[in-house]
Amino acid sequence: MRPHRIVLYLITAIIGVLYIYMTWIYAPPEATLGESIRIFFQHVAPALTAYTAFGVTLICGILYLWRQDIRIDVLGGASIKLGLLFTTITLLTGMQWADATWGVPWNWDPRETTTLILWIAYACLWVYRASVNDREVKAQFGSIFSIVAFPAVVLSYLSIHIWNTLHPIVITPTGLQMGIEHGLTMMVSMITILLLYVILLELTYRVDSSEEMLLEYRMTRS
Amino acid sequence: MTSSFKAALVIAAKDIRSQFRKPFEVFAMFLFALIAILAFAFGMGGVVDPEIGSAMVWVIIFLTGMFGFAPIFLSEVETGTLRGISIAPIPAWAVYIGKVIYGFFMMGVVEIFLLPMTMLLFGFAFDPFDPFLYAIFVVGTLDLAAVGSMASALTMPSESKATIFPLVYFPTATSAIILLIELTRGLVVGPGLITLGFLLQLLIGHLIAMITISAVIFQYALTS
Repeated sequence: MRPHRIVLYLITAIIGVLYIYMTWIYAPPEATLGESIRIFFQHVAPALTAYTAFGVTLICGILYLWRQDIRIDVLGGASIKLGLLFTTITLLTGMQWADATWGVPWNWDPRETTTLILWIAYACLWVYRASVNDREVKAQFGSIFSIVAFPAVVLSYLSIHIWNTLHPIVITPTGLQMGIEHGLTMMVSMITILLLYVILLELTYRVDSSEEMLLEYRMTRS
Repeated sequence: MTSSFKAALVIAAKDIRSQFRKPFEVFAMFLFALIAILAFAFGMGGVVDPEIGSAMVWVIIFLTGMFGFAPIFLSEVETGTLRGISIAPIPAWAVYIGKVIYGFFMMGVVEIFLLPMTMLLFGFAFDPFDPFLYAIFVVGTLDLAAVGSMASALTMPSESKATIFPLVYFPTATSAIILLIELTRGLVVGPGLITLGFLLQLLIGHLIAMITISAVIFQYALTS
């Protein structure tokens, strides 16, 4: 294993332990939400990481159209899978939090709805990529699709500003609207989940690249 | 620039002329929309709240678009004319804009018949003298034609085109559909917290963004 990878895993493990400590012990119960605030830390960080993952897919799409390098497309494809994973975590923790706070897991709140739309949109992109056989055409058209699908991310992010919502607006232009302990815990959770995303992205990219090489080898032999 | 735009109009005119040779296709879209109205009316027990009925207009147009926009480029693949278009001495964006104009025309024709029918059957009414009504329908239909044309182009290389088109059309059209439902509901029951003007600005922004992005990247779809 390369040294930079060991350092990254070690840092993530240390911050991960800190994240668990801060979420479950350090952060006090919130005045209105009580203990359910702890779900919040498992909810916001995956949501922002999912937006980041889809943003990486968008950038990879633009870069692929510019450079025509298949490795960029593999990276973009890997980021779609991780974006879907983190959106799934966001939806599940969101439902758990909604159930604890409002008594029902799903109430068609604009943020809930647009996050579900986001999940469906990128699941469609994933299925679409699988339905194209020619490798270069898949990369070319998949890149175009990733660009035109990105408004779904913008819509999900802006939904709480456009529509009347039950969802609290925590991140504002003036900063985090929460106490110092909760703000610190959220920052640590953000860093941990982002680091996990980076590690998973690298691993997924390596697995997908190996699959690509294997496919190419089979094609050459046949 | 002007000659490219003329080329776009020529492509649109060519498609519209071909469509006139097969008028049953537009009629089939209208019938599909009518079936959707009936299905929704059955689902809601025959009594449809005006607020829901007005929102349903765009859901039905969206579903009809799945039926109508899919052949925009796929028909070129089936008839083998796509290669001719791709090697024609015109920029790729002109081909795309031509297809958007054709899609707008086709869906516009369906809407002329669909809208009064929906108002009649769902029991709500738009003010015919409200300029917002026309602005919403023109911008909305143009927006759906823009994303529908792009979705049709993206479906070309897929192994299972019929299954994949709705999966491509949904993510690209959803943002517009949500805004259109809000706008149309606002016209019937009055605006909510957000003014109709602001929502229309968002919709116009979405249309400009989708047309610009699609026109710029369309050359990559045509050259593949």
